[in-house]
Amino acid sequence: MANPLVLDKVMKQFGEKTAVNNISFQVEEGEIYGLLGANGAGKTTTMRMVLGLIYPDGGQILYNGNPYGRELQAAMGYLPEERGLYPKVKISDQIIYLARLRGMSSSEADKSLKYWLDRFEVPEYYDKKIEELSKGNQQKMGFIAAVVHKPKLVIMDEAFSGLDPVNVELLKATVKELRDQGTSILFSTHRMEHVEELCRNITILHRGNTVLQGNLREIKKQYPREEVLLHTIGEVTGLEQIAGVEKVERKERGYLVRISQVAAAQEILRKAMEVSEVEHFEIKEPTLNQIFIKEVGESNE
Amino acid sequence: MNKMGTVVGFTFMNKVRTKSFLITTLVLALLVTIGMHVPYFIDKFTGGDDQPSKIGLVYEGQPELAKSLEAYTEKQQAAGYTLVPYEQADKAVLQAAIDAGDIDGYLQFAEADSGVFPTVTYTSKKDSLGMGLQTALQAALQNVKAEYLTKGMLTDEQIAALSAPVQIDAVKASVESSGSEAGNKTAETGAINYVIVYVLIILFFMTIMMTGNMIAAEVTAEKSSRIMEILITSVSPLAQMFGKILGMFLIGLLQIAIFAGVIAVNISLPYNQPVLADFNLQLSDIRVEVLVLGLVFYVLGYFLYATLFAAIGSLVSRTEELGQAIMPITMLSLAAFYIGIFSLSAPNSVLMKVSSYIPFVSPVSMIVRVGIGEPPVWEIAASLVVLTIAIFLFGWLSAKIYRTGVLLYGKRPSFKELRKAMKAYKI
Repeated sequence: MANPLVLDKVMKQFGEKTAVNNISFQVEEGEIYGLLGANGAGKTTTMRMVLGLIYPDGGQILYNGNPYGRELQAAMGYLPEERGLYPKVKISDQIIYLARLRGMSSSEADKSLKYWLDRFEVPEYYDKKIEELSKGNQQKMGFIAAVVHKPKLVIMDEAFSGLDPVNVELLKATVKELRDQGTSILFSTHRMEHVEELCRNITILHRGNTVLQGNLREIKKQYPREEVLLHTIGEVTGLEQIAGVEKVERKERGYLVRISQVAAAQEILRKAMEVSEVEHFEIKEPTLNQIFIKEVGESNE
Repeated sequence: MNKMGTVVGFTFMNKVRTKSFLITTLVLALLVTIGMHVPYFIDKFTGGDDQPSKIGLVYEGQPELAKSLEAYTEKQQAAGYTLVPYEQADKAVLQAAIDAGDIDGYLQFAEADSGVFPTVTYTSKKDSLGMGLQTALQAALQNVKAEYLTKGMLTDEQIAALSAPVQIDAVKASVESSGSEAGNKTAETGAINYVIVYVLIILFFMTIMMTGNMIAAEVTAEKSSRIMEILITSVSPLAQMFGKILGMFLIGLLQIAIFAGVIAVNISLPYNQPVLADFNLQLSDIRVEVLVLGLVFYVLGYFLYATLFAAIGSLVSRTEELGQAIMPITMLSLAAFYIGIFSLSAPNSVLMKVSSYIPFVSPVSMIVRVGIGEPPVWEIAASLVVLTIAIFLFGWLSAKIYRTGVLLYGKRPSFKELRKAMKAYKI
């Protein structure tokens, strides 16, 4: 069976500027696909094309093997980057309205809304207005608006930006729950730590071009482990002299050593054990953040 | 179409429930009620007309004139005032009489050379004469003046004929009907049709200004709160735009229905009926075609303007910029309004004929012409066709602008940028 979402060499130009250049990827059923990139990398444009808001100049986007059509509106959910709802309208009114626009009946929509409000432990918001809620809670309502009609494909633009850690965890848990129910999720962010936790496959965009794509674990494997984290009780000197060590950084509780070959790590450990007592020793795998910076070549956030 | 119904319902329900809607409707209904009662109250307060006001007439200085005035007043059956003669121009006595309520005020003739009619002063507690009294006194004094200047060379009948105002009857020359028939018809049109035209024009202008602004403001608000992005992924922009326009239209209709109800209740109040009858307004005079055609043009005109308002609303990202952006349409509707109002007295002028074919002005012009003038049927039909074509054209254009505009954020786009964006979005 064809995947819920397939992008094939999708290209989009705004005047002279190429916003998205030959992007291809697929999202499977029950998968959270990460779309990464700095600001202006083309994430939002890609998502808008997937949503059918704008049409690609080249390539094609297929949904379960079919091109875009009106009927897809009921099957898609969208959480825009700057999420918005009517500030002065009761939450129940507007979310049921949005669900009805996506083809749900009012009674179903009402039930679904109540379920989600309970899920977020805020059933009392049913009769409140958006303007009465805090920003974090407004975002939760935006999230509910995106998923209330039980879409098969959810598109989330910067889903977790601006939320406190507790709410980020809550939202992550619900996103995972959706995934386990078989919903496909296209997820964009520039917060790498969320991607590492949620996504199986990612695409990193830079100025409209794909710079890195594939399975997250495999991507990481390609990048050598270059950092050793060492926590000791006493002071360890002379780490710089070990062959393969590039740089030693003094940290609060120990050292962060940058190495050029993995063998050097063993030497570091031996040396540390000789001089002092080792509390913690770790050969760190590169974080996505580091990979991203390396690939994109400029600081991100 | 089902979705459009949902949009209509949502727009309608949300507006109806807002406090601002309730308050404006109530205030306007109250104003209408007060306005309807004004004639009654005026009647009540000038009720003194029944007992004619007593006016002191000072004989001193110009006894002939005073005598002549008194003689004239006696001849009138209902002069609306009675004269109380005073020999002496004694201020204290007259003042005392006013204070005591014996007279309302007094008339005094100034000294003047012979052969020149002297100025007349009316002294009373009030700042001015009442309207009725002024006309009555003026007519009487006119007569006195004629008599004084001609010094008995003319008979009373001649003097009366001299002071009667000249009547001009405007009769339209027409080929099909003879003069007398045309004259009858103009009379038949009656004041009530004039009132209907007036009301329709004001309603048209008010609805456009109010609902038009609401439409534009709602679209901008949806855009600035970014709910638009969710909306246009759920409903086609066309359904969304027309859903909103229809919803607002229903709001406007509801408001009009409420006002109509208020007016009907006020008219049916028993004490208001004689007053209305005084104005010579008979409901049976209403020509059905005026009402029907008036409403048709009203509705079509509304849709033409509403689509433009929606398109403009979609171009603006922030509500603060909206007022400036809708300025051109506001001017346009103002122009239509004034062309209509100023042409009420000349419904068959060239200006009206030309503006019947200019879409944004034609609704008002045609309402005036159908109501008061006599446009040929083919002109009405042609105007309707032009208007309908314009609605489709501007509706189509507005939908395109809407579709593009809602995705463009930041500063208001220029026409060039808009065209470029349309091309980029392949709309």
